[in-house]
Amino acid sequence: MDKLKLEILTPNGMIYDGDAVSVTLPGEEGEFGVLAHHASLTTLLEAGVIDIEKEDKSVESVLINWGVVQVDEKKVIVLVEGAVAIRGDNESDVAKALDEAKELINDIADSNPAIASVSARIESAAQKLI
Amino acid sequence: MANLKDIQRQIKSVSNTQKTTRAMKLVSTAKLRRAEELAKRSRLYSEKMNQVIAEIAGRIKCNKVGGIDNRCFIEIENPKMVDIVFVTADKGLCGGFNIQTIKAVKKLITEYKEQNVKVRLRGIGKKGIEFFKYNEIELFDEVLGLSSKPDKKRADEFITASIEDYKDGKIDGLYIVYNGYKNMITQELHVNKVLPVDTEQFDCNETATSLLEVEAQDEEKMLDSLVSKYVEYNMYYSLIDSVAAEHSARMQAMDTATNNAKEMVKSLNVQFNKARQAAITTELIEIISGVESMK
Repeated sequence: MDKLKLEILTPNGMIYDGDAVSVTLPGEEGEFGVLAHHASLTTLLEAGVIDIEKEDKSVESVLINWGVVQVDEKKVIVLVEGAVAIRGDNESDVAKALDEAKELINDIADSNPAIASVSARIESAAQKLI
Repeated sequence: MANLKDIQRQIKSVSNTQKTTRAMKLVSTAKLRRAEELAKRSRLYSEKMNQVIAEIAGRIKCNKVGGIDNRCFIEIENPKMVDIVFVTADKGLCGGFNIQTIKAVKKLITEYKEQNVKVRLRGIGKKGIEFFKYNEIELFDEVLGLSSKPDKKRADEFITASIEDYKDGKIDGLYIVYNGYKNMITQELHVNKVLPVDTEQFDCNETATSLLEVEAQDEEKMLDSLVSKYVEYNMYYSLIDSVAAEHSARMQAMDTATNNAKEMVKSLNVQFNKARQAAITTELIEIISGVESMK
């Protein structure tokens, strides 16, 4: 399967830079998925979860609070303001990431009604890792 | 000639100062490395952000009749009030780092005063705030502890007030003045006009990267939301750049101070030896003349 190049940038540095099979993004007008060779598109993202499907079929979740995405045929560049990647090699790392994620959710909770589902999704993502 | 004991005491005091300045230099070196690293990582984001804004703004500017009508992109002809945000350090002992920023702010204020434009001063960092307070220049807003520990959330909160005032039409310009990091030994003063965003830089090069383009949502709404983030990010970047510059300035100042102290100890040592020799000579002369007189 074709791959696309994905970059997720925050003001504090890059948190994801690599290949992915598909990316699901929380667009402002609804969630959408991007595969390789997607048509060019620039759009805003709202608070939610980015699901990155990697080559080995594993899925990595990244929680974001605001973002803008630039898609072209080869590359997907996501600029986000605050982001927490739910990943880690052991249970404590994942738990730590989950805590950070919850903190981020609390910050944005009042501005978004759909936040409960986001919270549930990151927990299930963390469950899978443990 | 000074008393031997006095000189000795002075030598001790100077070498103690030297120890302190050397330690401060080492601390700054370590902190600088971290700050520099953060600034470097952050620069990537700014590049992409500028790219996205330029692309969207450029598209609207060239394709829409009348260009961009978002207030953030229009040069206001007769400004009535501008916001000046300055970033200084919370601590001193870093050479001319703070005073350079203060001077630039003062210059900007005078320029606007001459044009009969009101200026609202918003300060970050203890040193600058203290200066303006001492000189009885009114500060509209002030924040402590942010310049030594940049935090995205606090920076956002601080600058949002200005962005909203700009969008509401209360102010007609926004400047961020700070001393930025250039390299290990030099700092570069930045006087950034953040709002309105300069549209000159956006050109209409129709470099269609793709044949197929998905028509995005309301681009103007997007631009509006982007520009806020852009200014917020600019503020944050000013802070981290300023921290890096502060540490490099302090490192340099402390290095000079250490060297000066070393020189001083050296000359004091010479003085001490001379005084000691003089004392010995006097004593000898006294003995000899005493013996002479007994003959």
